[in-house]
Amino acid sequence: MIRFGPGNLRIPKFERPVYVVAGGMTDFRKRYPEKNSCELCMDALRMAAEENDLKVSPEELRRSVNWCVYSQFADHFGDQLLAAAKIHDYLGFDPLGNIEVKTGGATGGSAVLAAAQAVASGYASCVPVVGWERMDEVSTKVGNSYIASAACKDFESELGWMYASYYALMAQRYQYENEVPRESLAKIACKNHDYARFSPYSQNPGKYTVADILKNDIVSDPLSFLECCVMSVGAAVLILADEQTAFKLTDHPVQLTAICGGTHTLRTADRRNMPILLLPNETEDTYKHYFDGKRDEWPGFSSFLAARTAAYLAYHMAGIKDPLEDFDLLETHDAFTISDIQTYEDIGLRPYGRGREFIDSGDAYFEGRLPTNLSGGLIGTMHAVGATGIFQMVELMWQLQGKWDKFHGDPERWTRYGKTKPEDYRNLQVPNAKRGCAVSHAGTGSHVTVTILERA
Amino acid sequence: MTVELNGTTAEIVSDDPLVIKNVKNWFHSHSYGGWSRFFKGLRDSKLLATRCTNPECKEKRLWLPPRCDCPDCWSRMEWVPAPTVGVIITHTTVQYPGALFRASPPCPLISVSIEGVCTKLMSYLKEGTPRIGMPVRAVFNTTKPTNTILDLAWVPR
Repeated sequence: MIRFGPGNLRIPKFERPVYVVAGGMTDFRKRYPEKNSCELCMDALRMAAEENDLKVSPEELRRSVNWCVYSQFADHFGDQLLAAAKIHDYLGFDPLGNIEVKTGGATGGSAVLAAAQAVASGYASCVPVVGWERMDEVSTKVGNSYIASAACKDFESELGWMYASYYALMAQRYQYENEVPRESLAKIACKNHDYARFSPYSQNPGKYTVADILKNDIVSDPLSFLECCVMSVGAAVLILADEQTAFKLTDHPVQLTAICGGTHTLRTADRRNMPILLLPNETEDTYKHYFDGKRDEWPGFSSFLAARTAAYLAYHMAGIKDPLEDFDLLETHDAFTISDIQTYEDIGLRPYGRGREFIDSGDAYFEGRLPTNLSGGLIGTMHAVGATGIFQMVELMWQLQGKWDKFHGDPERWTRYGKTKPEDYRNLQVPNAKRGCAVSHAGTGSHVTVTILERA
Repeated sequence: MTVELNGTTAEIVSDDPLVIKNVKNWFHSHSYGGWSRFFKGLRDSKLLATRCTNPECKEKRLWLPPRCDCPDCWSRMEWVPAPTVGVIITHTTVQYPGALFRASPPCPLISVSIEGVCTKLMSYLKEGTPRIGMPVRAVFNTTKPTNTILDLAWVPR
């Protein structure tokens, strides 16, 4: 859509407040044959029930639940249709109703959106969102083909069967239009691999220099392997509740003040130009000179209209005036370094064309203005697709509750996953964090959700 | 009544935990439906696009990939030949393709901007080294068609 009608950009609203009360996850691995998908989901749910300082027993929590949402990206990978039914039964929730949500890489975000809608409308008062992905039944090459099945199979999948290549096309155009130093992209990979070193859940931690990233083998130019997300197995759970239930379950619920979705064409090819949709912290003046250089269109290949639309709605819904000032924490869907830079602009951390400044200035780092992907993100920690958007929000919730160190620093947690806590472990708890934002993202920007969590 | 197993044994990948191979060997009969005209056109070295037939519709440009129906006004589209020359607006080179890839890596992927077309077709450069701004022309694989989008490629002009 390149012209909005009067009803198209209506700001969503909740009929009643929505809270998140508990979260859990497994560790994330390339291969996880030791446990089947039912067991992984149970591990994440058990952590949510037992380790979040709830005022009720796991059994009482189970007796509070009245609706469930399941989140799995690809039936191809799990090779089990209706897997949600199998997991719902395994978790002991029969005969309560459930739905399974699927929107590609943004499945986790969309699943939380569906749960929030249920709570906000009064349909339900306590809803677990359970996400997982089992990507280890096939080889990496077949896995890449499965993922590229989420491109247009008629006109685009055949061109490589490789999502990294579709992002590399955007990266080349973005670099051409904005003359971004290659190093700026590489810094994002360094940061997220590094933060993953402080997470017992992470799959691909590492201490790298920009030079290491740049000399790493190229998947599809300009992107190197270390600039691409991991392919993971694992699960994550987030429990949503209405106000009364939330305070019955915990003294420290976190409010979900906004969650909104946007979309754009599955085929990158089909993106027509349109006027820039302005966020609250932008004016027409912000882009007076945007088209003076090599840029000749928006969103083109350099921007995600889906992310901009979701941010526009969520910011208006939660009263955000300036994301850089109003957020204390951010989790982006850093599937590739290039998509992270694009997202910085889409959600208004810098105007279009200047996204690199967000990483180059130091803003994106721990102790910077808006610490981003302290979880290690998709590049360092995990991308078990159906779990990803949920994982981001669990990490944010723990930060807002001041419990990040409890869930990352306890040596027992490292032992649990057969790991040793690093000697140079850093506690990445952001002091006094009040408000966080999570961006869940699919395709080459086909679906995006933007979620805002606030300390209650 | 006695039930006989058919003798097929699932191959064991690992014994602890027990991991078996589930082998699949079948095909999907995939129809291009209304887009068949585009794919059959490639056999005859034709690049066919579509255009909205509604005179009130603001989108006058061609669609390529073609659509049978207009997303702006929901009217039917008509088929028209598209220009077979364009300009590369971005590119990359596939080094490690997924398992189903039918061409040989490294393969330069390109997005092509074509005058009068509102989209930027994704394709590949059959010869040469791609760069942004490079003028290209369409070539068609008619000798042994793959019957996929790979039957369309581009070369420098």
